[in-house]
Amino acid sequence: MKMVEKILARAGGRDRVSPGEIVVAEVDGLVMHDLSAYLTSRVYEERVGLPVRHPDRVTVVFDHTFAPATEATADVLVHDRAWARRHGLNLYDCGHGNIHHVVTHGGHAVPGSVIVGSDSHTPVYGALGAFATGIGNDSHAGMVLPYSKAWFRVPETVHVKIDGKLRPGTTVRDVALWLVGEIGEGGAVYKALQFEGAFVETLTFWDRWLLPLITIDVGAKCGLIEPDEVTERFLASLPAHRAYQPVYGDPGDVSECWSYDVSELAPQVACPPTVGNVHAVDEVAGLEITWAELGGHGGGRIEDLRLAAWVLRRAPKHPDVRFNLVPSSRQVFAQALKEGLVAELHDAGATFFPPSTGSNQAVNMGALSAGERMISTHARNFPGRNGSSKAEMYLGSALTVAASATRGRITDPRELVAGEELATVAAGGEL
Amino acid sequence: MPVSLQTVGRAWVVGDNIPSDQMVKSHRVFLPMEEIVRHVLEDAHPGFAPGVRVGDVLVAGRHFGQSSGRAIATKAIKATGVGCVVAESFARTFYRNAFEIGLPILEIPHVRECVSDGDRVSVDIVAGSLTNERTGAVIDGRPTDPFLLEMLRGGGLIPIAARLAGESS
Repeated sequence: MKMVEKILARAGGRDRVSPGEIVVAEVDGLVMHDLSAYLTSRVYEERVGLPVRHPDRVTVVFDHTFAPATEATADVLVHDRAWARRHGLNLYDCGHGNIHHVVTHGGHAVPGSVIVGSDSHTPVYGALGAFATGIGNDSHAGMVLPYSKAWFRVPETVHVKIDGKLRPGTTVRDVALWLVGEIGEGGAVYKALQFEGAFVETLTFWDRWLLPLITIDVGAKCGLIEPDEVTERFLASLPAHRAYQPVYGDPGDVSECWSYDVSELAPQVACPPTVGNVHAVDEVAGLEITWAELGGHGGGRIEDLRLAAWVLRRAPKHPDVRFNLVPSSRQVFAQALKEGLVAELHDAGATFFPPSTGSNQAVNMGALSAGERMISTHARNFPGRNGSSKAEMYLGSALTVAASATRGRITDPRELVAGEELATVAAGGEL
Repeated sequence: MPVSLQTVGRAWVVGDNIPSDQMVKSHRVFLPMEEIVRHVLEDAHPGFAPGVRVGDVLVAGRHFGQSSGRAIATKAIKATGVGCVVAESFARTFYRNAFEIGLPILEIPHVRECVSDGDRVSVDIVAGSLTNERTGAVIDGRPTDPFLLEMLRGGGLIPIAARLAGESS
């Protein structure tokens, strides 16, 4: 059996399962942010009203809002807070960081576990070797909260084999964006994508994170990476985590394999109107921008802040660009303080925001006026998602975002790299 | 409440890759449903929310309902009164949510080649087909899993959840 089949078989109390079957499986973790906790709690209170069976498996993170800007939002947070406390759920209030980074740092997701949430980027826990997928509020309210169970259709597995060594200026984020373009939006609907190959094996945990993150954009159900020493070392670095039993697929059990080589890959940018509209950066270089941001589900990592500092040491920030930095967690902000990056980036004219999901859907920040253009590490770029539907959002690597912030226009970061060895810039202690 | 698995009405045709957060924008998710419904799909088809009638059919392109998996997108579409959503393909979270909240949907590849905005169409979910009453064309879709049809007949997930979890009936 394949890895995802083994996880679902174990969680469903079965010896084996096959793709296409419906399985009712035990759920080890439910993760919700401020918006989904509100929507789920309303359904739960109005239509279910049972006790929560395993409150310790439910984690609520206020990440879309780092501080309420309106009375209506404040009301939502008060409601969510009271509901989470009444049921004894794990609660991380405003300022803790992005939901998935907080849940990971908190050790709530582990290899071999079944994790659900209605945030569509929930599959990112596949980076730990978990089966993780987005399901809706009625699944949470009807089955997960009262019974710690959920129904799943067992997905077909596609092995996504990535080989090659990146050239200076191209990062793992570029690989992830490029894959969305290659596979296509809806190109892997209902499938489990298992990332593997020499390229994947060499990545740090937080760089691996960027691969399962994009599975939703190609329509897949989940993305997985088999746990190895990198995974174990990362888990061992956490203050605490749930106990776990890792799951591995049977060697050689491969039905479908898509192979990619990233050796010649240029930095990539996802252009409006969708994440799948991916182009090499030189095709869009020169477009003026007014905002640049490191943040979101896959941005605001310590690696991203290191790259930004590296760029701003070589070129000053353009005066007409607002360069916003949103650490993905308090741990990242603390590490940035320790490394002197906060003072350095502040002095270079960038602005730090509280750990959160940043401009995602302009809940806290990041609304755009018609004609404005932003480049960011965010995960989405649909028109109208952040303010005006006549504004444009481009998605790129931290390096491309920072390089663009220095020129006031979308910039090929290779112009700044000029032969320097970048591989060591972002690397450092795991965090 | 039981859900009708057949419908007939006007077709409202929209394009490819429409995200769930364009169906209900984030700043509206906390509003009462009556207010949310007035803005459903306002960017993709401005005439839809003001003009839709009970039993109408929303016809979409590929990967309908991508992005956020919040069920409110499906609930808002159901609240417009449409009898069915037919798309060339659905994002999986939208697909799942639709059955869980009792919104009939059907996947029919190339449906837009046979249906124009404003056509009168009828859809039979169990048979998995759409008939264009204007042209007489009948097109078959992908059959729906019996488990999901059962969920629709039961009115969605919550009424059958305890039984499904093996807790009680």
